[in-house]
Amino acid sequence: MAVLQVEAVRKSYPGVVALDHVDLTLEPGKIHILAGENGAGKSTLIKTLTGLVTPDEGTVLIEGQDALADHSLFSRIAYVPQELNLFPSMTVAENMFMPFHRSGFGHLTISRKAMEAEASRFIERFGIHARPGQTVSRISVSDQQLLQIARAACRDEFKVLILDEPTSSLTANETEHLFRIITTLRDSGCAIVFVSHKMEEIFSLGDTVTVLRNGRSVGTYPMDGMTEDQLIRLMSGSSVQLEEKFQPRGDIDDSDILLSVEGLTGPGFSDVSFQLRRGEILGFAGLVGAGRSEVMQTMFGYHSAKSGRCMFNGKEIPRGRTDRAVAMGMVYLSEERKHHGIFPLLSVRENISLSVLEKMKRGGIISSGKEKSIVSETIQKFDVRTSSVGKKIVFLSGGNQQKAIIGRAMARRPRILIFDEPTKGIDIGTKFQIYRIMQQLAEEGVGIILVSSEMTELQRCATRIITMYGGRTTGSFDQATTDVNTLVGAIIGATETRHVA
Amino acid sequence: MSLETTLPGATPTPPKVSSIRALIARMVANPLGGVIGAMILIFGISCLLSPHFLTSFNMIIIARALAFIGLVTIGQAVLMILGELDLSVGAIGGLAGVVGGMLMVQVGLNPWLSLALCLLMGAGCGLLNGLLITQLRLHSLVLTIGMAGVYGGANLVATRGVAITGVPHEISFLGRGLVLGVPVPFLVLLVCLTVVAFVMMRTPVGRYIYAIGSNPQAARMLGIRVNAIRMGAFALAGFLSALAGILMVARLGTAQPSIGDTWVLSPIAAAVIGGVATTGGLGSPVGAVLGAVIIGIIEDIIVLFGISPYWQSVVSGGIVVLAISLDSLARHYLNRDAS
Repeated sequence: MAVLQVEAVRKSYPGVVALDHVDLTLEPGKIHILAGENGAGKSTLIKTLTGLVTPDEGTVLIEGQDALADHSLFSRIAYVPQELNLFPSMTVAENMFMPFHRSGFGHLTISRKAMEAEASRFIERFGIHARPGQTVSRISVSDQQLLQIARAACRDEFKVLILDEPTSSLTANETEHLFRIITTLRDSGCAIVFVSHKMEEIFSLGDTVTVLRNGRSVGTYPMDGMTEDQLIRLMSGSSVQLEEKFQPRGDIDDSDILLSVEGLTGPGFSDVSFQLRRGEILGFAGLVGAGRSEVMQTMFGYHSAKSGRCMFNGKEIPRGRTDRAVAMGMVYLSEERKHHGIFPLLSVRENISLSVLEKMKRGGIISSGKEKSIVSETIQKFDVRTSSVGKKIVFLSGGNQQKAIIGRAMARRPRILIFDEPTKGIDIGTKFQIYRIMQQLAEEGVGIILVSSEMTELQRCATRIITMYGGRTTGSFDQATTDVNTLVGAIIGATETRHVA
Repeated sequence: MSLETTLPGATPTPPKVSSIRALIARMVANPLGGVIGAMILIFGISCLLSPHFLTSFNMIIIARALAFIGLVTIGQAVLMILGELDLSVGAIGGLAGVVGGMLMVQVGLNPWLSLALCLLMGAGCGLLNGLLITQLRLHSLVLTIGMAGVYGGANLVATRGVAITGVPHEISFLGRGLVLGVPVPFLVLLVCLTVVAFVMMRTPVGRYIYAIGSNPQAARMLGIRVNAIRMGAFALAGFLSALAGILMVARLGTAQPSIGDTWVLSPIAAAVIGGVATTGGLGSPVGAVLGAVIIGIIEDIIVLFGISPYWQSVVSGGIVVLAISLDSLARHYLNRDAS
């Protein structure tokens, strides 16, 4: 009998359908792999399984009972998120039983002794190398990871354990130890959901796999007899749609190099070298955490480089100076629109004009006439929909905020533009508007870097694609002559990558 | 107020409530509306309460007292809009005062040169705060608590706690003089406020300060020189505090080591009353100084009423809390039916 059954679940957010008629059935004593590219809907599905997200349609049955009607059933699902979220300065036992009133230790005073005795049971069961009274910051990362699993599991008798990329910060040995624990849990009759991008893990652990793509379930397959190639094809969608392409038309002069990065090493990546030519759209493919954004932000001066250099038209960009990079003609549009893009307390007008205030000066003073005309020009050109320019930008939709920010960047007339996931959380119509803007700029001679986790987006826009895995570049491919399976292979660190260009 | 309500057949709504609501809505919508409204209210009440309030003698007292706190408030407000705070402004003011006194009296330097050196030193102290905060990535609150100890301690080391008397008469005009019946320190405040308010409203640097206060990461991503602007703002706060300190010396005729002791919390309270957000990005120096006016009037009326000095801070503190609650209450009142 299935422990957990999800049927025809649908969840939409304004402008995006995150899940569209997804089915999932978990059997006890099986490890179920959840596979799919970034943005395929895995995390929304997990949130549905744990009760954090209530679906618009569909049913969630836990041991045959309707969990959407009775939320307490979700306590049988143990969930371990990807990032460690422990209290580093508290003890192992304290971390395990927080919040205390839920675990039965929340009396007037907390008996350290009783709690530590209880904790040592779990420490043994999960094979954690730590004493209950030890401070968490002093135990190894893998033990912290195991502690996190133990914490999720010690609440109730859990029936399902969900692990979201649990090995992303572990070494090979630590991973092996973790896998032994996971198989022991499986053999004791627990249903396990395992999310990973790493092929070797998927194939060594999985009993069943469900593949998601663009919020739909492609299907559920037994892992027996599945090949790596097949799985990659299922994830990426072998039939790439013959839709509109946005590569810049016209020839690119190979010797006309705008930006040259040489052996750049910084936070989370090392020894990255590449060149950007005038008029090309250079794609950067990779998984979340591959180091793509870090490379861009370091080039731009937001982070300090440890070694290496970036030459812009033959002149070195000074390290750690975003103002100099901008002055030289480079603009970076961050993936984190909320944290790095908009100024929430300022109006649409102030948000847009901020990058070009120097152009609006008349005798050191901002000329409101010039400001008005530049802002309204930008709003018109980039189709920013707002009832008034005096409105605070946070009241605009995500897509319109993004267009306002792109417009702000364009107003500076940059020579190099870095788009970091420019279409994240944006509906399809706006997406294509942004593609058209990129194409037009490239044709005007701007060098464009497009960081994207969506393969279809890169294939639709980029002329060349650089792949990254684990903080290193793993290849450089000419878009026109490379198939998607090769690219997916390169971003998940598959051993054989063919260098085409 | 609203035409529809008078039309026959329209749903009758009590016009009085809607007009009060519209008035509150307009005051909340205008960033300075609240503080101006509160100031007028308190001024009016004060006029009714005491016949001695609206006299030119009393007005001069209020204006002169306001000038010193007001100057410090301008600098603190700019820092708060930027998302920073400087708790050493009082200590800088005191140190600048005694250094000025020593240069004039003990060294015998030209008073005007001494004054300029003091202002420079104040700006330097502020710049040092900014330098340490930006380069060592320290939290401004913690760092400036420490620096307040350093500057305050330097003051005591130099003076041994004894006031420096015999400040030359050339500069006493700056503290005691009247121009067209207006105290000179108050005029200095008006000039400084005009300049800073203009910079904040109409120049790129002013816009950058609001941007940094609203989202410092995004400001860096945009290529704004965040650290340079931060250091500049700390230097400005130091400069204005030193100016207040030296004007106080000119007014007292002696350089008291205790100058500036009360300049730390009132300017922050004034800025908050005036609509400056403690989290940065919102408010204006004009609003902050109007907040200082409110505090000044309250303190004055307490004196006029002869309330025991022991009760003064209880009353003025209570009114400060009341004043900052009003804004939030007004917003709550407006949002109640809107949602």
